[in-house]
Amino acid sequence: MQQSLEKRSLIFLLTFLLNRFIRSEYGAFWKCIQAGGFYIFTQLTKMLLLATFSPDAESLPTAANFNLLAEFLRSSVDIFDLLGIAFVLSRIPGKGHSKLISAGLGWAAAEVILSRGLILWVGARGAEFSWIYIQKCLESNISLIQHLTTATLLWLFSRHDLTKSFKPIVTMLLVATAYKGLWLDGVLRILSVGPWVSLALKALTTTSMGVLSLHIYAGLAQTIGI
Amino acid sequence: MFEDADNFADLFRGGFSVLLVTLPFLIILSSTPVLASNEFTIDRMTQYDVHGVAYGCRASNLNLEAKSLQTWTTSRHCVITRFQDLTVDQFREIRAKAGGIIILLPENLSILSSEEKQHIYMLEQAIMAQEISIPVYFSKYNPELNDIIDEISTSKEKQETSKNNKRESALSEIVNSISANGYQIVVSGASHSVNKQSKIPIIQGELAPVKNMKEGSVEKNTKLPLLIVTAHFDNFGLINHQLPNLDVTVFMSLVSAFSKIHSSPNTSPKYRIMFLLSESGTLLNFQGMKKWLDTNLDENMQIQNAEFVLCIDGIGQQSDTDTMYMHVSKPPKEGTSMSNFFKQLRATAQKYENVTVEGVHKKINLADVQLAWEHERFSMKRMPAFTLSSLKSHKDPLRSTIFVENQESHLQSAQRNAKILAEALGAYVFGNNNGELFSGASAISKELVKPWLYIRSTQVNNDLKNAFEKYLKNVKITYDKPDAREPDFMLYDGHDGTLNVYSVKPAVFDLFLTFVIVAYLSSVYLAIVSFPTFYDAICKMSNNKVKTN
Repeated sequence: MQQSLEKRSLIFLLTFLLNRFIRSEYGAFWKCIQAGGFYIFTQLTKMLLLATFSPDAESLPTAANFNLLAEFLRSSVDIFDLLGIAFVLSRIPGKGHSKLISAGLGWAAAEVILSRGLILWVGARGAEFSWIYIQKCLESNISLIQHLTTATLLWLFSRHDLTKSFKPIVTMLLVATAYKGLWLDGVLRILSVGPWVSLALKALTTTSMGVLSLHIYAGLAQTIGI
Repeated sequence: MFEDADNFADLFRGGFSVLLVTLPFLIILSSTPVLASNEFTIDRMTQYDVHGVAYGCRASNLNLEAKSLQTWTTSRHCVITRFQDLTVDQFREIRAKAGGIIILLPENLSILSSEEKQHIYMLEQAIMAQEISIPVYFSKYNPELNDIIDEISTSKEKQETSKNNKRESALSEIVNSISANGYQIVVSGASHSVNKQSKIPIIQGELAPVKNMKEGSVEKNTKLPLLIVTAHFDNFGLINHQLPNLDVTVFMSLVSAFSKIHSSPNTSPKYRIMFLLSESGTLLNFQGMKKWLDTNLDENMQIQNAEFVLCIDGIGQQSDTDTMYMHVSKPPKEGTSMSNFFKQLRATAQKYENVTVEGVHKKINLADVQLAWEHERFSMKRMPAFTLSSLKSHKDPLRSTIFVENQESHLQSAQRNAKILAEALGAYVFGNNNGELFSGASAISKELVKPWLYIRSTQVNNDLKNAFEKYLKNVKITYDKPDAREPDFMLYDGHDGTLNVYSVKPAVFDLFLTFVIVAYLSSVYLAIVSFPTFYDAICKMSNNKVKTN
């Protein structure tokens, strides 16, 4: 039962956000909701694209075979996620940190509710204990960091006053983010490590990407004075 | 500059305390839906009443923690074990104190030693002897369930040994108890309601010379001497399951063999043979036969005057013996038809299959409500009756067992005994003892015998009825229904269910996990609260870089 604790706490946090930000003059909560709405819209677009253009259901990767081409195609569609977040960033008014955090948080919250909520609600409440739900919760924490990083990177990418030397690094990180599912899963599959180690590796990769982006962001933020 | 960030941090600061208060409520309010991991089909132990005495298992709900034979302690535990491992004493203790028991039936009885087999039969008798207030379930052999039993027993044994050694530190004890795997057992779909439709069918049919039938002289026909052959149909034992019925096999082989003789006027003997099959055996105290006698005896003097009644009971179970027993309540007097038949049977058995027939005399114990043999029902009505069986004692556990040691040898002995019976009966009705009647086209072969082994009750399908109608005349089915006020017997519904085994962690593990999660959430909280400091550090680094740039 405790395995659903994290999810519950997340949901609770969201409710708390609601109470807090309905009264708040900044309205960060509504920005989060907006970001979530965009997330849903983006996912629908992605699904449409996948259904239309992906080769066929059988060549899609399953747990058994890791089809590189199909996985590549699938990851390419993930670029729409980036477009979605970029759109959210352009639409959400706000200054500096708040804008990035609400975009990333909203996006991540929508993702966790839509893609993991049902599994946790149905599975983790069962009589049987399984570590997989704990892993899923930790994984969604990682993806929260990832989405915050992505939002930051996109914001940096859209800035014209970014230092020239940082431009290629930002672009590279963005591409790495988009195809993260492809290369990270591929590497983990080749290493054939257990679920806990792969979770740790994912956390490590994401954190280092996050710290790098934060570093660049801090530099720019200070120059433009926010 | 950090207004917004502070805002976010504030939110976590306030939220954390509220979170700790709210979480327990959320946990309490949540229900636990059932998700199956391992699903097995199991049979509930049979439940029935005879003469107001309850037998079998009286409960069906089961939702408990699984424990092995050695480790169960309270009524909150459900013992899960193999049939072979259980002893009678252990079973008695479990019946009195545990919350339930699930027993895995052995896979193949023929590979067990004779002692183990004896033990199994004894245990079966012990389980059947009384009513049981805890739910008892049986599962057919299933490797997965076997593995689960293994795991439960071994993990516990390990703990036991480590406890005995006492060299393990307290810490490793704690670690052991936290990391232990438990199993939760949930049985769904089983019920134990009274079957309002409970009834015992008794099917009868007879063979009479064709010539007389054609002439339509019923008078003449009914004046012929009458023999009655009976058997009973066991449709449940320890579990409510279709059992291979050797008695019915022999019985039906006799029916089909004699119908051939009676089919032509030239060969038909000057005897009427009545075949009677009731679906209530030892366990139901031959209730069906009682009812049949009560309804038919007064109206029909013919039945009262039957030369003898031959009951078939437990005739194939003991396949490794060359002896057949003829059980009587009173030793037959010289010159009576019963004694004549006994002599005939002895001679025939010796002649064809080298089987000896022994007479066993057991007086009816009128004080005991439970009868020993079916012929006692007839003997009590002063009809000459006896039971033919390959078992010497009426207490032999083989009579009502559900276990089948060796199907092939059982069939073989059933065929052998059917042959002996048919020849002896044939010789008796024709009054000669020289020729082999059932040979060639009418021989009682294995192919003839085998199809009857798994014939279903008339309450399930019409096979038995159709067979009777094919071979016999005047087929009639009567039903014995329990009296509404004082039922002689009562059957119960819902004998099987679904067993779900969930691997669960002990309560200590839940507590431990809660602490881990709280620690994790606290660290996340601290990380968010101290994020500005971290950000400042990064800013300084960037500043330096920008400056150097």
